[in-house]
Amino acid sequence: MTHEVAAASQPFVMDTTFWTATTIFLISYVVIISEKVHKTVVALFAASLMLVLKILSQYEAFHVEELGVDWNVIFLLIGMMIIINLMRPTGFFEYIAIKSAKAGKGDPMRIMIIFAVVTAVLSALLDNVTTVLLLAPVTLLIADALEVDPIPFLIVEAIASNIGGTATLIGDPPNIMIASKAKLNFMDFIYNLTPIVIVLMVVLLLVIKLVFGRKLKTREELKQRIMQMNEKEAIKDPLMLKKSLFVLGLVLVGFVFHGTLELQPATVALFGAGLLLLLSGTHEPHHVLAEVEWPTIFFFIGLFILVGGVVKVGLIKWMSLKMLALTQGNLLATSMIVMWFSAIASAIVDNIPYVATMNPLIIDMAKQMWPQETGLALLRHPDLMPIWWSLALGACLGGNGSPIGASANVIVVGMAEKAGQKISFMRFVAYGFPIMLLTVFISMIYVWLRYYVLNF
Amino acid sequence: MKAKDIMEPVKETLTPETTLKEAVNSMRVARRGDGRVGVKGMIVLDNGKLAGIISIKDILKAIIPSYMTLTELGEFTWDGMLEQMAKKVADRKVEEIMTRNVITVSEDAPLMECADLVVKHGLHRLPVLDRDKKVVGMVYIRDLYQAIVQALFEKGGKR
Repeated sequence: MTHEVAAASQPFVMDTTFWTATTIFLISYVVIISEKVHKTVVALFAASLMLVLKILSQYEAFHVEELGVDWNVIFLLIGMMIIINLMRPTGFFEYIAIKSAKAGKGDPMRIMIIFAVVTAVLSALLDNVTTVLLLAPVTLLIADALEVDPIPFLIVEAIASNIGGTATLIGDPPNIMIASKAKLNFMDFIYNLTPIVIVLMVVLLLVIKLVFGRKLKTREELKQRIMQMNEKEAIKDPLMLKKSLFVLGLVLVGFVFHGTLELQPATVALFGAGLLLLLSGTHEPHHVLAEVEWPTIFFFIGLFILVGGVVKVGLIKWMSLKMLALTQGNLLATSMIVMWFSAIASAIVDNIPYVATMNPLIIDMAKQMWPQETGLALLRHPDLMPIWWSLALGACLGGNGSPIGASANVIVVGMAEKAGQKISFMRFVAYGFPIMLLTVFISMIYVWLRYYVLNF
Repeated sequence: MKAKDIMEPVKETLTPETTLKEAVNSMRVARRGDGRVGVKGMIVLDNGKLAGIISIKDILKAIIPSYMTLTELGEFTWDGMLEQMAKKVADRKVEEIMTRNVITVSEDAPLMECADLVVKHGLHRLPVLDRDKKVVGMVYIRDLYQAIVQALFEKGGKR
């Protein structure tokens, strides 16, 4: 099936505005990648340029969905961050981690496997950064108790977090962004991504077993150090823990039914945040709100406006035409290219700006392939769905390719360094890159088989 | 009285390249005052210039793993952990663990200034610098207290 680029005749002009916007866009991406200036600063300044130079009007930036800030993404992130910030001091995550180590009977191999699974599940339900931020300290403690090298444990956790995060709408920022743009709901992700993520996790565990097999050993008396720990001591505030778990449970149920209830994911998250704030009985919400990761939130805001600028001037459309010319409208080829390109790109650069750019590009491509369709019929065109899933799988799994590929990796490397255990760039790559190739390869087979051969 | 009137001479110092183990040993054998008081903190000199100060608290901080300061994991430690961690960090350099922003006083600083600094910053010792910023002595919290004892019970203290 070829869609000859009839839509290419639609005019857009490569005038001064076009080149100004393109230059701002390219320079800011280069500076973000170079890490010479903090990415949030770059994104906010570039976004303000788009407005000052009138490439984008303020109205478009704040209120037009296709061109400006995606408030659904912003408030979903803020809502979840507030819930986690209220939940963190209860000691729940330390409890889970110590309990897991004891479930592994102090055996390093078993602990690594249990931690990988726990990390993946928590990453699917919360964000990856929070998960590794909470589990890595306990991991370092347990490695010291067992007198084993903590680095393999930490790298495995980062990898499991990136794989687990792929499973759900709320698991990883790329998924949140794709869901909002493509109007996909929580259950779409459960049906389409969770099955393959389970397969990938099984593969990861087999690889762990194969690689570390009998290498990970400790002495009997050291295991006792773990077994003597009483995980109940981790719980600092049992009443608040009960409230948090109730609200988190309610929020998850809300996500499962948000499509049916016609509630946006951000609404569900904000409701959870509001309810838990109320139940916590706090008179001083200042620090809970201050601990929201504002740099990340403002990075998103800046990025949306920045990308909105190049969408408006037509750069993204031009790119989508190039992409169509490359694939000749072949959908399978498009899926595969999107997946592999996303994986490689996400291993090298932050996957958030990448997905922010790809989302409108894919929508533009869809407009040209199915010019008669609009709205939901276009965004959720059956032939477009596998491309969205390919983007999600590539962008999330690609993060495993290098220590800078995903936020979870950056956290783990930073924490290890603070603990005097430096993880070199190449040491991470030695674990992460082969896993990335393997998981993306399996995902490629999955997408091909499920959507292009079996068609379900 | 001024800082220079109550300060004690500094006999032993460390260099930034000294290892933690060597530093602990220096502190173990060093004596001050009349020779019976042990040393619980030493200054670190880099080519004669004050580079930092290290106290037993800095050493404890270096031994506590960073992951414990990040989270509430105090309950999940084990018998022997402190000793194990001490051996683990024994070869770290003094410059990695010393306090770099040293609070100092000049020779002519009044005792009240010294007392104020000690209380405000929770210190036990204040290096005393001359005009060329060279360390010429150390004022200890004990010596400041001694000045109070004198004021109340010896010379002017008698009513």
